[in-house]
Amino acid sequence: MSTCRLSCLVIGAALCVATGLTFAAPVKIGLVETLSGPQASTGLLFRTAVRYGVDRMNAAGGWNGEPVQLLEYDNQGGPTGAADKLKTAIADGVQVIVQGASSAVGGQLTEDVRKYDMRNPGKEVLYVNVGAEAMELTGEKCQFYHFRFTGNAQVRVKALVLGMKQSNALGTRVYSINQNYSWGQDMESAIVEDASLGGYQVVDKTLHDVNKIQDFAPYVAKIAAANVDTVLTGNWSNDLLLLMKATRAAGLKDRFGTVFLDQPGNLGTAGDIALGHFVVHAFNPEAGGAEGERFVADYKAKSGHIPVFIEPQTAFGMAMVAEALKQVKPEHGALSVTALAHALETTRINTPLGEMSMRGADHQALLPMVVSTVARDAKFKADDTDMGFKPVKVFSASDAATPVQANCKMQRPD
Amino acid sequence: MDTLIVSLLNGVIYGLLLFMVSAGLTLVFGMMGVLNFAHASFYMLGAYFAYALQGTLGFWGAVVVSPLLVGLIGVIVERFVLRRVHRYGHGHELLLTFGLSIIIAELVKLCFGNFPVNYRVPASLDFAAFAVGNSDYPFYRVLMGAVAIAMFVLIFLLLTRTRVGIVVRSAIYKPRMAEALGHNVPAVFMGVFGVGAALAGLAGAVAGAFYTTNPNMAIDLGVVVFVVVVVGGLGSLSGAMLASLLIGVVTSLAVGVDASLADLLGLIGARAWAERIGGLFTLKLSSLAATIPFALMLVVLLVRPGGLLGEKA
Repeated sequence: MSTCRLSCLVIGAALCVATGLTFAAPVKIGLVETLSGPQASTGLLFRTAVRYGVDRMNAAGGWNGEPVQLLEYDNQGGPTGAADKLKTAIADGVQVIVQGASSAVGGQLTEDVRKYDMRNPGKEVLYVNVGAEAMELTGEKCQFYHFRFTGNAQVRVKALVLGMKQSNALGTRVYSINQNYSWGQDMESAIVEDASLGGYQVVDKTLHDVNKIQDFAPYVAKIAAANVDTVLTGNWSNDLLLLMKATRAAGLKDRFGTVFLDQPGNLGTAGDIALGHFVVHAFNPEAGGAEGERFVADYKAKSGHIPVFIEPQTAFGMAMVAEALKQVKPEHGALSVTALAHALETTRINTPLGEMSMRGADHQALLPMVVSTVARDAKFKADDTDMGFKPVKVFSASDAATPVQANCKMQRPD
Repeated sequence: MDTLIVSLLNGVIYGLLLFMVSAGLTLVFGMMGVLNFAHASFYMLGAYFAYALQGTLGFWGAVVVSPLLVGLIGVIVERFVLRRVHRYGHGHELLLTFGLSIIIAELVKLCFGNFPVNYRVPASLDFAAFAVGNSDYPFYRVLMGAVAIAMFVLIFLLLTRTRVGIVVRSAIYKPRMAEALGHNVPAVFMGVFGVGAALAGLAGAVAGAFYTTNPNMAIDLGVVVFVVVVVGGLGSLSGAMLASLLIGVVTSLAVGVDASLADLLGLIGARAWAERIGGLFTLKLSSLAATIPFALMLVVLLVRPGGLLGEKA
């Protein structure tokens, strides 16, 4: 009996190995994202967009005749959880890691992926970054197997400043207020650097604790004392909402230039006080023309809502991965990640706002940016309010681009 | 000068809000000897109930009914959940309230979604009370402060001037003796727990409209409220008031101070050295404003472990 069972097992195992060799291994994409806890709302949006992207890959036939698999891992909001889940994902055979929420997690993932790839030649994994925007990811920490499919602080501020200046909304006195961590610090230095470009003077700047402050009134008192025209901020979530509400409660008429005002819930909570504020984002359905409406309708049909916040950039990033996968031929029935990385470097896709491509030197995507303002006559309304984002200026990928950072020293495989 | 007045006013009113939430927490601790981790969740529930009810009852109706509902939930939690584990000791109660806070947060996400809801100050209350310098001072902030002060006076009078207050205080101080004298101590506990929850609910209903009503508001405020209770002295109502005001004012003033350790060292001519080292030395005090309460807690725990006005060490 026991010998029979043992031999069965041996035969079974042998069969498994044999089939693994003869048939192609499906490509596994692993989403390592914040799916639970306080910051899960953003992570879940990334998941929706990544699912949409993978569904589209599979609708187009998958890769090498097999559907692409999407595996989801909950990093629980922090770098430690992400490092753990990355190991699990690699053990599960994942070759492409996707992540977006939090630059802190992004910093951990890119370092871990770099080290793993160095130690396991031939079994590399690729990190598809759809949302971590800290400069260091394409600067000091830039590496061959990391690709960023979203903007960064410099790209965002440049477009925001030019767009606001063109609509005569920028003024000459600017206050910079940001969160005190990699992203906020990058935003602050970008705001200071672009002063001559935007023709403004940074009157005062503030860095504050992240998501800890309930009462922004003291900061608003500082803004009031500085007597400025515009407040530029990279704040997101509660830090942005509370700041805007407190400013308007103090009766200040300052205009806000923001990066994340299009996060769901913001317009609903802020109400009329959001009118006239600006946001720089990767997509605005109203600016995309017929192609944009087709994308919006398709996305809505699949996920139940129109793409907002970080969803469009994630969908475009996944579309670029899909495009690159098409260029890669299987080697012994499996995907060569290095070949995929090389293919990604030359991939170009057409988004509704224009062409998007990948820069080989630092693996920063060159993508169109759009500056919008909150208005009642916007075509697509947000949060069941009568307000929406009305595009004021679309920047092509080349206009929005900022130069490669000098400290990016990428080690390329031969 | 204008800035200083505004900062002080901001600090005091934020402190009063902190007091509204921490009052219930400190009362419950004084009574049951247990830190209620779910307390800030009652604050969140208050805001969400008011948001859900304002459509049918109007803003004022919602602000009145929402705390009553939260108080009722508090009573139910005490009667049917906490009381059952009371005999197993404080550890169990602590874990239970911790679990409860997670369950409430997840339920709120299920019912109202992951993102902030549009609960806002009604237009009729959204005007400037007065102007200081070049900025207005919102009337609603003054209103929040007034509600908190009224609440403090009411509780204080209730506890010190009425028969009910005597029974409550005796049940807290010597529960067995109070029971032997024929008072229904479990009912008193239930009542105090319910009132504590209702107070937090009131704070949520009032403050949720001014700040934001989102599924994280319990976590965001909860930590600061614990700091308030520890600094003020566990179980002390006046201590909670003092600590709330202290934390509110210190945080508010710190935001306006752009000095760093390097500036301080500059007084003895070591500025260049400090700036060369960088790091901690050049960190501005204003960027640490939200961290100061925790430093304060550390100092209080080291110097006076019972808290500023705490009786139990």
